[in-house]
This record gives sequence, structure tokens and C-alpha cells, in this order.
Amino acid sequence: MIVEELVLPVLMVFFMLAAGAYTVAVLDRVIAGALGTPQAGSVWIVPLARGAWLMTQHANATEAPDWRAWRLAPALYLSLAAIGLAVVPWSGSLVATDLATSVVLWGSVEALATVVIFLHGWSANALFALIGGYRYVALGLSYILISMFVLIGVALPAESLQFTQVVASQGELWNLIRQPLGLPLFLIVGLGMTFWGPLNLADSADLAGGTAAEISGPPRLVWDVARAAMLVAFSGVATSAFLGGWLGPWLPGPLWVVIKMLAVLLVLLLLGRLLPRLAPERCVTLMWVVLLPLSFIDLVWAGVGALL
Amino acid sequence: MAVNWLRNLASRRSVPVFPVLGVQGDKALRHLTLSPDIELVDSPRHASVLLVAGEIPADRFEPLRRVHDQLPSPFTTLWFRCEPWPHLESVIRVDDLDVLPAALVTAYRELMKGRRESSPRILPDKPPNPWEGEGDFGQGGEGMMGGVPYGRPMAMNMEDDIRDGLTLDSLTFRLGPFFFAFPPGMAAEITLQGDLVQTWKTQLVAYPQSLDPVFFTARERPVPIAELELARARHHLHRLYRGLHLAGLESASLSALRLAQNLSTTSTLDGLHRYLSRSGFFRLAAIKGGVLGPEQARRIGGPAARAAGLDEDLRSDDAGYRRLGFSPVSQAGGDTGARWRQVLAEIDQSLQLARQAERDDMTTSEVDRIETPRGPWLEKRPEDASALLDEILPGQEWGDALATIASLDVAAVAEASLDTQTASEPRITNTLDSEGGRT
Amino acid sequence: MALTTLFVILISSLGAGILMQWLPMRHQPRPAWSQRAPFLGGGTPDSHAWSRYHIRYYPMTLLLIAFEMEMMFMYPWAVVFVEKGMKAMMEMGMFLAILSVGIVYAWREGVFKWQ
Repeated sequence: MIVEELVLPVLMVFFMLAAGAYTVAVLDRVIAGALGTPQAGSVWIVPLARGAWLMTQHANATEAPDWRAWRLAPALYLSLAAIGLAVVPWSGSLVATDLATSVVLWGSVEALATVVIFLHGWSANALFALIGGYRYVALGLSYILISMFVLIGVALPAESLQFTQVVASQGELWNLIRQPLGLPLFLIVGLGMTFWGPLNLADSADLAGGTAAEISGPPRLVWDVARAAMLVAFSGVATSAFLGGWLGPWLPGPLWVVIKMLAVLLVLLLLGRLLPRLAPERCVTLMWVVLLPLSFIDLVWAGVGALL
Repeated sequence: MAVNWLRNLASRRSVPVFPVLGVQGDKALRHLTLSPDIELVDSPRHASVLLVAGEIPADRFEPLRRVHDQLPSPFTTLWFRCEPWPHLESVIRVDDLDVLPAALVTAYRELMKGRRESSPRILPDKPPNPWEGEGDFGQGGEGMMGGVPYGRPMAMNMEDDIRDGLTLDSLTFRLGPFFFAFPPGMAAEITLQGDLVQTWKTQLVAYPQSLDPVFFTARERPVPIAELELARARHHLHRLYRGLHLAGLESASLSALRLAQNLSTTSTLDGLHRYLSRSGFFRLAAIKGGVLGPEQARRIGGPAARAAGLDEDLRSDDAGYRRLGFSPVSQAGGDTGARWRQVLAEIDQSLQLARQAERDDMTTSEVDRIETPRGPWLEKRPEDASALLDEILPGQEWGDALATIASLDVAAVAEASLDTQTASEPRITNTLDSEGGRT
Repeated sequence: MALTTLFVILISSLGAGILMQWLPMRHQPRPAWSQRAPFLGGGTPDSHAWSRYHIRYYPMTLLLIAFEMEMMFMYPWAVVFVEKGMKAMMEMGMFLAILSVGIVYAWREGVFKWQ
């Protein structure tokens, strides 16, 4: 009993963390190559080589950082990604943790991610990292609401906050079609939470790497792995909420989940490479004035749809 | 043993290089951007190799020492077309651009496999200010927030904020000559409150940039307009490459660079322009702000002035251009977005003029009035315009400020003697024998 | 039980993250002071970076708190929505409408710009 209920979920989550981070690295490299970045080396080996390089590089220090927070922040982000992955259902019975309130847990993961990323930037006590952290908070606070309204819209037809129920409620029709505004909004939120691509205000190029400007070596490895894992957790939740999770003909449930997650990851990584970085002011205005009303409309639509 | 195995694996990745640009170092930067084995990084913490590209003037030696010491171990340096410092051990110097990527790869692999020692630090291992012996953490001493805890004072508030008058702490710092978002060689002293620039004072101006030799030849005798216009387009494409890289559009910046390398009269900008419009570069990226007033626009001249609405272009005085039906392009607004639109429009115009001029075999007719891509050249070469930055950047948010700098071409034009070195950057193919054939 | 599992996952992934940093770093020497200077392209800072940072989006955070409270009410509302039918829809609609007035007011006041 202990083995099933305790050890197996932990192993599952760790496997997802490792495999997910590796998949994101490989996919990102493939997409970058397809878009024209000059690359050499096998696409499977190079991510491992980068990981090895980071392990052997010395960890950087700044003059007077908050040591505990600085070293904890990447590990905290990793554990938030792990918790996010723990609620993703692989089939009706194969979930790491089948909470009755998974949607609420996911919301808290998002909210805490804001704190962790800010902490990572602030604790370095260096200029660019500090600016990156503070800039991220503006973005982070804005997208939490959008994500929650969209997820509540998904929970309405399921009459439950449990992700397994949400997937089960998509038996006839996926939420992608029933609530068309939901997935695009959620994808934008995903790019925001992992500050990827157009919403990369925290680790951005105009800040020489932002919160990651002063880190090197093993802490940078953990930070990058955590970002990739969060992206994977995110696509897992998107799959369960909008793409019908394990539902699908012929293939076994978990395989469908993998396929759908890969599809969402592909879309996110493509968007990350194709769009320019948003200006912070424009980003905040966009989130509150355009995307938030759209999420209201999505909620109303979902409500009407659930009642009919 | 485990460390050796890891290091062997680590040697199989692309070389992470932090480039430090000296005079004429941007040729190396562009060559390395398109090299598959090299990854150029923005922060020295993310690099294992420090590349010093181009001659570093003596007043930038101290910043170079600082940046050199900021790379984490293990690291090594490589000097390209620059005299390496004698007190460093086992330095490599490379002068040939084609050999540079391979030299970097060799240096990195030797470093990883242990055949090369990591470079020692140059600066002494002391905190910036002595603070041991005061309070437990260095506090105490003068003033309300006195002392230098851990070697530096705490930030104190100086002035009211520009936008809303709130008086919180300002951070003053010098952003050095080796910051990638600046024109090479520029250093400024900046005061930020939050992420808004309060004051900006240029301390070291950017290195004078070298123009294509055809512009200097055009001052002595008539040159084919096709060649002149292709050189102009190439200059603008190089600026576009930097600006797009800063905006986060990697693939667009690489295609701009590739277009510049293979530029001929059959090249077209349409694909890139379409992609930029569709990706939202003109609406989403940091393109507001940095508005030039008419007096400032006149001072800087060139495409930036035309983007602010000034319709002046020395090419309209030239009989050859007039026969080709040239009329200056300009935008209204004068902000960063207008300047990028102007650059794209000028590249397009240059390509069209080059095509027509090649067909009709036109040459320039004026020799003492040349419109360079940097600005008009009457008696004196275009001068440095960094003082303009001190005026327009305060009040802008950080990302907007950097985008403004990327869109403005403030460096002066160097003398012709600086670029008679081996320009081993790929040049245009001979335009005169592409009749009827596609390049 | 699921919560215990979640807690174990949290602690073990946190431990893994910390271990992944600590194990390679055990034998690395503390970096020299010249390496620890913040990266400013070769320049120097005047002071530590920690300061009373001007957060220009502060009014936006107040608006956020209002919406967060609404979100808290919407979680249980979502579960009983289908049972209660149109009445639940109306109530939440009114709640949303009132808060939307807040967004419009904030927008007109320039809260979403860096002011």
C-alpha cells in the first residue's frame, strides 16, 4: 500500500521531470534548427552535453546575495513544477495525486511561481537580476486571473475541480471546441508563467539574461530544468483541461496524453521562437484590457454551454 | 573520474563565447553568429571562452579586466586581431577570420579535457571597499545608512522620480563598453529609479564605425550607383540584425544577416518584411518612445532624421539618382517604430535603385556631397551623436531605452585608413555579370 | 492520502533540486571578489542593488486583490453551478460586472501604464 500510494507517484513525477525537461530541450533545438539557427552536433546529445557543461562549471557568487534564497529558488521552482506534474492525469486511474481540488492546487502553483521567480531575481543582489525579478511580478500577477477564469470555465461542465473529472466530462466533445477561447488564452498564460519567448520579461535579452544573468554552473542547470519542467507541467494541464486528456480511440490512454502534450509543447515552443518580446507596459495593458475581458466571455460561454 | 566523463560530454556542445568588441570587432561578431559551433552569449557568467575581437583602446582596459574576471572557472581567452596582454599565460591570438571558429572550438575542447589550464584572475581578490572591522556586516560609520556593508554603500534616494515625483531610491551605475545592447565601445553612467531611466550620461563614445570603401571612393570619383546602393543596404541590414536580436526575433535577425552576406541586385526584402509585420514586431515589441524632436533629428541626420519627418537626402542633388527617379522616403513620428520602418523602407529603396542602376549602368555625378547610411557627408564625415542619447533617454523604461539605442546609429564614421585591412567578410558577388542569370 | 503524497513529492523534489546544486559545488572554491562584481558590461555600480525599488504597477496589484477574492468565491461556485442553474449564472454575472467597472476605471486612470 505504501509502495503504491507513496513511492510510485514520486517515481512517476521524477520521471516526468527528467523526461520532460529533456524533451523540451530536444524539441527547442529542433525548432531552432528548422527556423534557421546554425547548429552542429546531434540533437539528442547536445542537451546532455549542455547539462554536463553546467555541472562542471563553477557556480557563480555575487558580492552580497541572500545565499539561502538564491540557492533555494531554483529548487523551489523545480518542486512547483513537480507539484504541477503530480496532478496531471495519465488515465482514469493513473494519476500521481488525484486531489478533489486539483484546479485550486494548480492556481496556487501559479501564484507561488511568481514569488519564486521574484525571489530568484531579488536574492542575487545585482542590478539586472533585480530588474528582471520586479518586471516579472507585473506580468505574473496579471496572468493568474486569466488562467483561473479559464480553468473555472473548464470546471463548469465537469461540476468538479478534479482534473480526472474534467477529462471525463469531455467524453462527447473536447473543451477545445466547446470553449474555443479557452486554449489560446491558456497558452498565453503558459508562456507567461515560464516567461518564455514573447513574455520573457524576467530572463530577457535586454537584461543580459535577467534573473539568470548572475548564475552559472549547477544552480543554472536546476533553474533551466525547472523552467522546462514547468512548461511540461503546463502542457499537461492544458491537455487535461482542453484536449481531452487520455480520451481517444485505438491507442492506450497514457499514449494519447503523451501525444497531446507533445503537440501543445510544440505550439508553445514555436510561439516562443516566432514572436518578439513584448514591452512590459504593453504586456500589462494587453493582459488586463484585452485578455481578461476575453476570459470573462469565455466563462460566460462556458456557463451557458454547461446549462444547455 | 566522474568529472572527466562529464567534461568529455561537456566538450561536445557548441562553444559558449562571450564577445568583447574592440575597434572593428563587429565583423567577427557577424561571422560567429552564423557559425554552427559557436554560441554567443550575453553575460560572461554563461560563457567559457572570452573572445577579445578587435583592438581595445587603452581607456577600456580596466573594464576589460573586470569582465575577464567575471567569467566563472574554468575559462580561457582568445584574442582576435588584438595584441594580447603580455602577463597572461598561454594566450592564443588569431588574425584570420576564417580560422576563428575552429580556433575557438579547439580552445574550448582543450579547456574541457584538461589540456588547457583555466586562466587566472587579473584583479586582486579584495572587496571593492574595505569593510571588515566596522559593524558585524560592515555597517556603521557616517550617515543614516552609513558604512559600506559587504564593500558597497546602500542605495540612497537622490531625486524625485521623473514620471510621478515619488522619491524612492535611485541606482546609479556605469554600464560599460562591453554591453551587447550598446553600440560597440559605448559606455554610459545611468541612474535608474525602478526600471525607468532618470539620467543618462555618455562617458565613452562608441568606436567610429567603418563604412564600405565604396563610399570613400565616391568622394573622389563617380562610382556605379548599384554598388553604392548595395553597400548602403548591407549597412542597414547589419543594423537590423542587431535590433532584431535585441527584440527577441532570432530567426529574423539571422535571415537579415544572411541576406546581407549574399546581397545582390536580385535579393528581396519582402519575405523578411512580411514576417516582421505578421509577428507583431511593429505593434507588440518595444517600439514606442525615443521620439526625436526636429532639432535633434537635424543634428543626427541620415535615416533617423528622415524617420522624424525631415525630407532631406543628399542623393536628391545627384543627377544620376534623379534620372533613376529617386525621391527620399520619410516617416512621421520619429519614434523607434518609425525608425525601423524607415530602415526597412530604405533597404527596399536601395535594392530597387541598385536593380535599375545596374540595368541602365548609371554612376553618381556629385563627388563632394555623399549620403552615407549614417548621415550626410558634406565637408566633414558624420560625427558621433551620443549627446543625443543623454537628451532623449531619460524618462524611458529600460526595454524602451535599449530599443531606442538599437534603432539609432550614433557612432561616428571612421577614416578610410581604418578599413584598408583585409576585409575578409564575404563581399557582394560581381553585379556586372549577373545579366540574365539568377544569383 | 493524496495530500501526504503531494507533500512527499514537494519535499523530495525540493531535496533533489538542492542536492543537484550542492553535490557538484561541494569542492568548488568560493569565487574571488573580482568575479563577484555584478555584470555591467565592464562598468561599476555605485551601491548594492537592493533599494527601495519604484514599483510602478502598484495600483494594478490592488485591482488584482479584488479579483482574487472573486476567484476564491468562484471555486465552490463552479462545482454547484449546473445544479443551481440560471440563478447561479446571474449572481456571478452581477459580481463580474461590478468588478469590470473597476477595470474600466483603472484603465482610464492609466493604472496599466508605468505611471
